[in-house]
Amino acid sequence: MASLRQKASREMISELPNESTKGIHFTQPCDALEREPFALNRGFCMIEYDSVTKVFGAGKTAVLATDNVTFTIEEGETAVFLGPSGCGKTTMLRMTNRLEILTRGNIRVRDRDIMEMNAQELRLAMGYVIQQIGLFPNKTIAGNIAIVPRMLNWDRKKIDERIDELLQMVKLEPDIYRNRYPVELSGGQQQRVGVARALAADPDILLMDEPFGAIDPINRDMIQDEFLKLQAQLKKTIAFVSHDIHEAIKMADKIAIFNEGKLIQYDTPEVILMRPANKFVSDFVGADRTLKVLGLLRVRDAMNPTPRNVIQGRVGADEALKFMEENNFRHLLVLREDKVLGYVTRKDLKYEQGRVEELVEKFPEELGHRDPLREALSAMLMHDIVSFPVTEDNGSFAGTISYQRIQQSILELYAESQDD
Amino acid sequence: MNLFVFLQENYSTALLLTWEHLWMVGLSLLIAICTGVPIGILITKNKNLAQKIIGSANVIMTIPSIALFGLMLPVLAVFGHGLGKVPAIIALVLYSELPIIRNTFIAIKNVDPAMVDAGKGMGMTKWQLLREVEIPLAVPVIIAGLRTAAVMIIGIAAIAAYVGAGGLGVFIQQGIARSHESMVLAGALCVSLLAVIVDLGMGFLERWLTPRGIRL
Repeated sequence: MASLRQKASREMISELPNESTKGIHFTQPCDALEREPFALNRGFCMIEYDSVTKVFGAGKTAVLATDNVTFTIEEGETAVFLGPSGCGKTTMLRMTNRLEILTRGNIRVRDRDIMEMNAQELRLAMGYVIQQIGLFPNKTIAGNIAIVPRMLNWDRKKIDERIDELLQMVKLEPDIYRNRYPVELSGGQQQRVGVARALAADPDILLMDEPFGAIDPINRDMIQDEFLKLQAQLKKTIAFVSHDIHEAIKMADKIAIFNEGKLIQYDTPEVILMRPANKFVSDFVGADRTLKVLGLLRVRDAMNPTPRNVIQGRVGADEALKFMEENNFRHLLVLREDKVLGYVTRKDLKYEQGRVEELVEKFPEELGHRDPLREALSAMLMHDIVSFPVTEDNGSFAGTISYQRIQQSILELYAESQDD
Repeated sequence: MNLFVFLQENYSTALLLTWEHLWMVGLSLLIAICTGVPIGILITKNKNLAQKIIGSANVIMTIPSIALFGLMLPVLAVFGHGLGKVPAIIALVLYSELPIIRNTFIAIKNVDPAMVDAGKGMGMTKWQLLREVEIPLAVPVIIAGLRTAAVMIIGIAAIAAYVGAGGLGVFIQQGIARSHESMVLAGALCVSLLAVIVDLGMGFLERWLTPRGIRL
């Protein structure tokens, strides 16, 4: 089911006349593919962890880092490994590209046991991004990005083209940044290069170890958004380590929650939030998990697409007042064609003769249909308005969102998760 | 004033001795780099070995140079090289090993582990990592070690004149023997000048060889 959905979205994306997507298809490196250890099993890409156990040290000082962990990351999915520090999430990631050797169990990538593969080959086929960024300060930005393509023996012209393409993809102007050194870039810019470097040879799998952890909150939010957009096009299979529940909810298709080396729960963010497996998970996601769900749901999921308390701006005030009184509305949404002008209350209309649009009060904030419900609720609380208009991407009126609708959609989610 | 008169009259000898001094030091440094840098890199992979090697190099440093020449004399005499350039160069190499090995070791060890991690995770082999990342990043510290070694052995080479190795020490040694003050001063001045010039030159080299990205 999930793979069907992904397939569909992938086809849609490849039809988009999008430059960067097109570029990736062009530069799909033939020689890299031939060298890629997984080339034979294309289309089956996934990571399977099967009772993976890792013990550090031996004898009395032995520490169990991961304990019988079994789960699967499907193709094109982002799995976030979440948990407190020391829970084994980073060890899990580092075992995937054999930076740590697992003690028992096995890890299969595209149906091949990683321990039977050459470690170098395995790593070349997976992008790797770390929290400390790890750009080489003695190399230029171009030099850093070129590392893996060079190891794969691409020819120079192709590498140069790929560098420019990647820099554009991560929103860094190639002509400005190509020949700069990492020290000349800000932390956020450096991590963009880190991501570009990991994507250099177009690997199917990305391993990311708290990639945005060292970036200040404002930049982090921005780079996360950009990465999500990028991922929507690239559809890589991503293993992503995080200790931040907000980041996990934002980035993940599936969240794997670890504690003391054990996998506690592996599911979609919605299920993790609405139906935590045990007290540890519910404590970890926080008592405000309902609020976090609001960050996941979009305004369009809860809005009323056909509200009745709507009026065109050219209507006269007395007529509008009558309309309100007949229907017992407390306020009316005023439109001009399909653009929202604002709202009027009965007080605004009383004793007025002109047209409604002359009396309109503007909404203090505009909500897009893609905005998270959390923002809608926040706007309602801040401005003491119980209902906001929602607009489409092009600014036209899409519906209204009210406090009752938000509550209703939360209750529906709870009911759903209790049903199954 | 006698000093300048002496130098004026003996400038060809002074130049010759300076040249002799320089190539003894240069050759010793070359040998010390060729052995010390690989040893320094090698011992980063083995903590036990590192302690032993750096420990021994430290011990050698504590032996006064005159005593080292004395100690080598009976051993090298067996091969007919008890005196002359051979014991001098061996001693100079031994003395320069410590700063070179130690600096190489520390420089490689101090490369940010995150960098090593990123390199390995991308699929670089140990050799690629060393060549493309660890050594370029270590270069400034390695050259600094070289600089220390060079300045130090320029001084020690002056003492090597006592085992007949030649060099600017000859002026000092003979000057003392003959109570020829200007001659001693001339030797001392030339050695000092040489040390200062080499130090400046090495500083220049250090800047020049430092990768641009870490100079900024």
